[in-house]
Amino acid sequence: MVEVRLEGVTKRFGRVTAVNSVNLVFGDGEFTALLGPSGSGKSTILYLVAGIYKPSEGRIYFGDRDVTDLMPNERNIGLVFQNYALYPHMTVYDNIAFPLKLRRTPPEVIRDKVLEVAKFLHISELLDRYPAQLSGGQQQRVALARALVKEPEVLLLDEPLSNLDALLRIKIRSELKRIQKELGVTAIYVTHDQSEALAMADKVVVINRGVIQQEAPPDTIYNEPRNVFVASFIGSPPSNIFPATMDYTEEPCINLPGGTRHCVEEEYAGVLWRMKPSKVIVGFRPEHAEIVENPVDGRPVIVGEVYTVEPLGRENIVTVASEDIHLKVITPPEVRPEAGELVYVAVERGKLMLFDPQTEINLKYIAREWSQGG
Amino acid sequence: MGEGIGEGGPLVRGTMGIVIILALLLASLPIIMTYSTLVMTSFANTIVSSPWVKFRFTLENWRLFLEGKLAPTAGIVYTPEDILRFILNTGIVAGGVTLVVLAASVTSAYAFSRMNFFMRSGMMKLLILLHAFPGVALIVGVYAIYVFLNNYIPRDYSIYYSFIFVIIARASLEIPMAIWILKGFFDRVPWELEWATIVDGGSRLTALRTAVLPLVKPGIAAVAIFAFLAGWEDLIYVLVFLPPQEKTLATYIESQLGSGSLETTYLPVVAAAGTLYLIPTIIFFVVTQRLLLETMSGGLKG
Amino acid sequence: MARRGRQALFFLLPMLILVVAFYILPLVLTAWISFTPLTNWRVRDQLVDFVGLENYVNLYYLARYDPDFHKVLQTTLVFVVLTLFINVVGGLVLAILTYLIDERISLGYRLLWLLPRMTPLAVFGLLWYYFFYGGPQGTLNSFFLKMGIIDEPMRWGTDPAMLPYSAWAIIVFVNGLVGVSYGMIIFYSAFKNIPRELIIAARVDGAKTWEVIRHILVPIVRWHIVFVTVWQLLSLITSYTHLFVLVQWSVVDKWYGTTLALYVFNTAFFDVKNQGFAAAAAVILVIIGSILGLLTLRIMRFSQMISPPRGDI
Repeated sequence: MVEVRLEGVTKRFGRVTAVNSVNLVFGDGEFTALLGPSGSGKSTILYLVAGIYKPSEGRIYFGDRDVTDLMPNERNIGLVFQNYALYPHMTVYDNIAFPLKLRRTPPEVIRDKVLEVAKFLHISELLDRYPAQLSGGQQQRVALARALVKEPEVLLLDEPLSNLDALLRIKIRSELKRIQKELGVTAIYVTHDQSEALAMADKVVVINRGVIQQEAPPDTIYNEPRNVFVASFIGSPPSNIFPATMDYTEEPCINLPGGTRHCVEEEYAGVLWRMKPSKVIVGFRPEHAEIVENPVDGRPVIVGEVYTVEPLGRENIVTVASEDIHLKVITPPEVRPEAGELVYVAVERGKLMLFDPQTEINLKYIAREWSQGG
Repeated sequence: MGEGIGEGGPLVRGTMGIVIILALLLASLPIIMTYSTLVMTSFANTIVSSPWVKFRFTLENWRLFLEGKLAPTAGIVYTPEDILRFILNTGIVAGGVTLVVLAASVTSAYAFSRMNFFMRSGMMKLLILLHAFPGVALIVGVYAIYVFLNNYIPRDYSIYYSFIFVIIARASLEIPMAIWILKGFFDRVPWELEWATIVDGGSRLTALRTAVLPLVKPGIAAVAIFAFLAGWEDLIYVLVFLPPQEKTLATYIESQLGSGSLETTYLPVVAAAGTLYLIPTIIFFVVTQRLLLETMSGGLKG
Repeated sequence: MARRGRQALFFLLPMLILVVAFYILPLVLTAWISFTPLTNWRVRDQLVDFVGLENYVNLYYLARYDPDFHKVLQTTLVFVVLTLFINVVGGLVLAILTYLIDERISLGYRLLWLLPRMTPLAVFGLLWYYFFYGGPQGTLNSFFLKMGIIDEPMRWGTDPAMLPYSAWAIIVFVNGLVGVSYGMIIFYSAFKNIPRELIIAARVDGAKTWEVIRHILVPIVRWHIVFVTVWQLLSLITSYTHLFVLVQWSVVDKWYGTTLALYVFNTAFFDVKNQGFAAAAAVILVIIGSILGLLTLRIMRFSQMISPPRGDI
């Protein structure tokens, strides 16, 4: 298969810059998810790789081959559209056979290949039907079969699961990953659903406003978001994010809402001493905190009043109000404080994230870049 | 009765609804009456102009008409005319107009819907303007071209020239609207289908042929029907461009009622001609009613 | 870019050839002819003779002094104004009424009213020929005779005693029947786009049918009314085919049934065959038509109807 590389790629539509000087490598045989809110430019990147859009600046490579000026039909890619784009006037068999027919493949070969891919995707019994007679999940498989039948070097998937219902989505998601690994094809998967991206991808690329926010394996994206956007976009419910002032009298300490103070851990202390920001942006994940009755053991603690409790069965989401800031905490089902009750929110040690208030970048990453730089 | 307004059905019901339906019927009376006069007269020995006219049912008009005994010149002496030729001529013009309109509008409409080119929007505006253009100003210039070119046509081919010219000239009048209608149909085909074809290895032309055209068949049908009816119904261009002996149904009827021919005209026979002439229109009308209504309003969404 | 330009040209070529040959060139020729003395289509000798503005000057004198041409101008004005009124208001009334009633009956009525538009010109003329026929068999005569309103059959469109009003009434009525369906279709499809909930909500709030019409239906098609008015104005000023048939078959008086557009046509092809003069009158029509056409484009929200293509293929 092949590695896909974007070098300084920019795409403008009139005055709007949809993709802004992106450098990106999609590893050979890797499953990469492009994750971002709608309008972030993630689909544009996919269509740039497909050749449906031409970059305003920059080059695109498949391995050593510069494909920037090649038409989509010269790139050997498979593309699955969000709406599947099945030809409504052709049967499932003809839909799948179509790319091979366009390549003037001999009919016997077409037959064998279509039957093979149909078997592989469990749609052999649907071959005589028309797309309109299929369910959403079946249409999705046919679209995938049509993309795979020509044995593409790169498989591009544009939100392929978003038109399916939630249950089916989870089922197909694991299957898709299995197929990709089995074929070893380089896959690029566009989605706005973070759980899909985290569950399936080898690497997740988070994009916002045409700029790459972070490019990392799923657990890094989750545990060490590079900036405020990634922290607030990933997670359900998303991270609690709020500003706080700093105090440097003895060591760098944060004045948390509700009047408590927390002096930072080793990994943040160095960078804070050097930058000495008067304010930081603080973040933590709802699942990394708990409601306690007594503040103990040096964990960061925020004092507040219970605002609402949403029991979800497996867990509760408790919203705590502290100085105009609403914090969400996931608690075990038995922890069910009353609204109005005064509580302490304790954050797990080492799970507090600090961001530079100007650039909104995680101070941990700034520290790392410094230590790497010298 | 038990059905609420939210469940579909008419917005006005009961007495008010019946009043409206009757009011519409009253307003429609002239239309209903005139058309039934035409059809009834073609089967009668006199003009069946009102419900109390006494008439005798007869197929005589149709027989005379189809035998070409159209106008008794003195008493009952007929000079038979080749009526099949008239019908054929009408069909040739209508079919020719359809072909020319389709040939010139399908690819253009696709380009206007799907491609970016110099002056795209300007050209589309021009087409809309042309559609509304004073046809009478055009026909003077078009006839000047016709006369001018006719000097270079050998006399033997003159008749072919006339037919081809009238067909192309008449088709041109329909092209702006045809492109506009078809563009609307192309606009509704998802881009992804076309992209899928190109990603799968096809060219733009392949995509048009295999993925897009099958989906705009209703649009092509609508445009073809409009073009056919335009050619079928045309009177002015045929009258101006075709030599007097090459009549269509329109110019035949015209010649029967036009100035100076009235003394010899037997109106019930003309009614048979008119009824026959109306049949294709009615057939298309009934078969494609919804498509027709939608297409006519489709040029304007806003 | 060059490749894509060539591709587009390839797709557009058939249309471009026809547009140049049958619109652009004829228009230029018509303008040219208006400065020549062309009569009887003697294009070989007369197409390069120039008479300057003579045809336009003649047009001016005719407009000042010729009683027949006065009739033509009056008829044009009356015809355009009254038919326009019928087309817009009638179209709106038809659209509202058919919108309110049961869908299947409504479809029947809409098709019925569309019939005149689709009927071949010669047949439509024939219908009204029978209707206004001067003998006792004519529909109108036979009705009025039966009811005792008249004693002997009338020649409705040509009897000097009733001119010009009877001829005007006939041309307005006959053309109105054709034109009214355009407004009906446009307004009806606009009504169909109204979410049903809107009407239901108004009904729940206690609005009477009349109030629904006044406060919801009419305001919603305001823009469509402007559009239909301008578009129909343009088409009425330039249309002549139906009038040609009525005049040619003596259903109506020659001059009180002739508008400027028909006058141009008859002058060029039938009466005096003076093409130079007809072309001058046609140029005037073209100027009026162009102004109205541009106006239509402005109010048509054209930019919304033509969206840029997607993709860079």
